[in-house]
Amino acid sequence: MRIAFLIVVLAGAVFYSYIAFIDLNFLTRTGRLGPGFFPRIVGVAMVVFTFWALVDALRERRAAQDDGSAWRDVVTLMALAVGYAVLLRLLGGFPATVVYLGLSLVIVNPGRHLQNAILTAVIPTAIYLLFDRLLNANMPPALLDLPF
Amino acid sequence: MDIFGDLMMGLSLAISPINMLYLLAGAMVGMVVGVIPGFGPSAGLAILLPVTFGMDPVPAIMMLAAIYYGAMYGGTITSILLNTPGESATVASTFDGFPLAKNGRAGPALVMQAAASFVGGTVGVVLITILAPMFAQVSRSFGPPEYFLLAVMGMLTLIVMIGQHWKLGVVSALIGFALGTVGVDLETGQGRYTFGSAELIGGIYFIPIAIGLFGLGELFYAFYQGLHKTGTGGIVQYDKEERFWPTRHDWISTRMTMARHSILGFIVGVIPGAGATIASLMAYSTERSISKNKANFGKGEMAGLVAPETANNAASSGAMIPLLTLGIPGSASTAVLLAAFLMWGLRPGPLFMEQNPELAWGLIASMYLGNMALLAISIFAIPLFVQMIKVPYRVLGPTIIVICTLGTFSVHASFVETYLMFGAGIVGFFMRLYGFSPAALVLALVLGPLAEEALRQTLTISRGSFGIFVERSASLWIIAVTIGLLVLLPLLGRFGKKAEEAEKAGT
Repeated sequence: MRIAFLIVVLAGAVFYSYIAFIDLNFLTRTGRLGPGFFPRIVGVAMVVFTFWALVDALRERRAAQDDGSAWRDVVTLMALAVGYAVLLRLLGGFPATVVYLGLSLVIVNPGRHLQNAILTAVIPTAIYLLFDRLLNANMPPALLDLPF
Repeated sequence: MDIFGDLMMGLSLAISPINMLYLLAGAMVGMVVGVIPGFGPSAGLAILLPVTFGMDPVPAIMMLAAIYYGAMYGGTITSILLNTPGESATVASTFDGFPLAKNGRAGPALVMQAAASFVGGTVGVVLITILAPMFAQVSRSFGPPEYFLLAVMGMLTLIVMIGQHWKLGVVSALIGFALGTVGVDLETGQGRYTFGSAELIGGIYFIPIAIGLFGLGELFYAFYQGLHKTGTGGIVQYDKEERFWPTRHDWISTRMTMARHSILGFIVGVIPGAGATIASLMAYSTERSISKNKANFGKGEMAGLVAPETANNAASSGAMIPLLTLGIPGSASTAVLLAAFLMWGLRPGPLFMEQNPELAWGLIASMYLGNMALLAISIFAIPLFVQMIKVPYRVLGPTIIVICTLGTFSVHASFVETYLMFGAGIVGFFMRLYGFSPAALVLALVLGPLAEEALRQTLTISRGSFGIFVERSASLWIIAVTIGLLVLLPLLGRFGKKAEEAEKAGT
């Protein structure tokens, strides 16, 4: 996985450098340093160092010792977070938070139904009061026309 | 106006009821952040920064600063009672803190850590009061070449401290620099890496990246480590002990330890990249080597707890010097604080204290009051924090995701920034897992645009010649200090590592 991550970073670095050399000028028409000056230095350095780190990682390659259950838990949490992002767009701040927290607690804190039910009600309410009423901050609006 | 007069003016501002309220709230929240394992001041600051948007700059900055140094106090409670450091700067506090608790001296250990933190923090603020105006005076002669070199120094020292994975640290910093180039080029007006998106014209905003990397990234990593599965069964029951308060011998035997490590911690804190973790490990190692009771270290020696605690709090004060007087953050936490200053249109630097005396001196004065408040909170609110330690990670996790998400959205009401925060969270997890440095990325994201602007201005002044960096005496001094730090810092890092290894080996 480490090698895969480094390959993704390297691909990003190559793409960044490509744009820096193709789209952005090194000098302006008046001969001053242009918008491509800094990105070209950063891009080339990023490609060199990522490639170097990748070579090191390939040399040190060892059998994967990842704990399957650790990955399962973290991927579940990531999936729930991404699901929350989608729900926020569709349902808006408060309803999406209630749905997300209810579902998340059932999955990551199983068997404690009463505790989960209380937390699902209390936390979104407290956060809504803090952000919307006390701090007068923006809460995500719903894309769908909800009856509440 | 003299320093004392400025300080009194700051104190009169800080002591107003509303500012005191925010200061106390910040100190309390900072302690809570410190208590949660895996979450340090940078995560706490990033997550809670959006909460301060509706406030005036003065109470908001005071509150954020209180969160920053309050986290140092809170992190030790879990080190002593649970043998789990709340953050990296309190790792050294587990070495003797937990054995003290196991020996039935948890109460005295908790009180002494609060006192040591107070002494370290207060000496640190006294030194800020004296030294910050002097630093500002010196840095007034700085121009673009010096600012570019300072940014380079900040990045290099941080990368050097990463040690074994320094190449990944460089890559992390370069990713931060690359993200910092997104948006319209201020000199030519040309769009860079915007791909036609109106949301990216203004550049990639710092807050979603910092919240994603430090908030979500750390949370995912904590789940990966299985923190959500561990209970709090190992927590030491301090309330059943015979004696809660330290003995006279505890105070007398550690008074010089506090004095020594307040100064040492402050000096290490001023150095960009070194920070509170190195300061605390160095303090432990130094104290152990000069102590008459060497054999007791690791078995419950009070000086072994007091030394790192004094040093990490003094270091967090020391780190405010380069931030306030040069506008250059030396760590991820101070980078988030810098972002907060910039958000309110304030630009820390040589003229900051002169142009914003109320804010600068109000902040410094609030740190005196904050340390006093934290001393009281960290002794008398221990039962409250013990209850917080008992909240399981599996409940905290989803709640933190909600706060990060709504906090990010509340800044600009932008879904793009919210999605960016989730992306940064996932990337931050992989960075943490594979030895990259999220702190270097965030620091580079803040310093990148400043460094680019300074470099372009420098080369315009010199008509493209890099010789300008060795023609100015101020630049030469910065280069010399940078070279000195690059040689010295790996030695300091090794010093800290030795302390950890010796502790693990039980020698």
